[in-house]
Amino acid sequence: MRWPVFFLIPIALTAFVAGQLFLKHAMESSAARGFRDSQVILFLVCGIFAMTIHFFVTLGLLGHLDLSYVYPFQGLSVIIISLAAAVVLKEKLTARLTIGTLLISAGIVLVSMS
Amino acid sequence: MTKDTRNKRIQNRPSGFTNPWFQLGFGVVCVLVYELLQKRGASETANLSQVWSWTGITALVSPLIWLAMALMIVSLLSWLYVLRYIPLSIAFPLSRVVDVLIPLSCWLILGENISSRRWCGIALVVVGLLLTARPVAQLEEKL
Repeated sequence: MRWPVFFLIPIALTAFVAGQLFLKHAMESSAARGFRDSQVILFLVCGIFAMTIHFFVTLGLLGHLDLSYVYPFQGLSVIIISLAAAVVLKEKLTARLTIGTLLISAGIVLVSMS
Repeated sequence: MTKDTRNKRIQNRPSGFTNPWFQLGFGVVCVLVYELLQKRGASETANLSQVWSWTGITALVSPLIWLAMALMIVSLLSWLYVLRYIPLSIAFPLSRVVDVLIPLSCWLILGENISSRRWCGIALVVVGLLLTARPVAQLEEKL
């Protein structure tokens, strides 16, 4: 019963992070190319598809586990999204931003666990 | 995207209702309100049917749930607009202010309890948000 959870939680997290990156990339490209550009549409569709996977996998997890067990992983997504934005989208991650992000993540984990 | 084009994008940002920072706050308020409406709507309709109540389908009877769904769509559109202007590594951590606002509103409006551990978590998130928002404030001052 426990083992699918170890797969499903990373799948939900990865889908969420990928979805945010796709949407960000799509919206950034749309500023220069407009919304009729095929690449912008492709990234938007990929983003919405990834978010849909995240939505249903999370629903499935919530059916079997407590919200207080599933939700703290949302806190992890803050760190992963910031790192992914720095690596994939080449955003600048300052020391202050990193510390702020770590505190927000830790706080979310505490809020959702209790 | 280079630093120059990003700064230019931030400089040329629209003002008023279409300002991306305003939209970030607006989106957060939408999420907060729809979460509370969802909770109200789901609680009100939980006992309508023994068989269907766990699927969430019975909640569709409640007009609050339809309002929540409309707000969900509004918040998604506003988030897409935010992503057009603000770096993801700043916008996403700031958007998690909802994780503080939701327990606080549950405490104030729904009368739910907040444990001491949860208060500590809220404090950590607030400090983290202040640290994250500070470079943004400085950037805005320079422009």
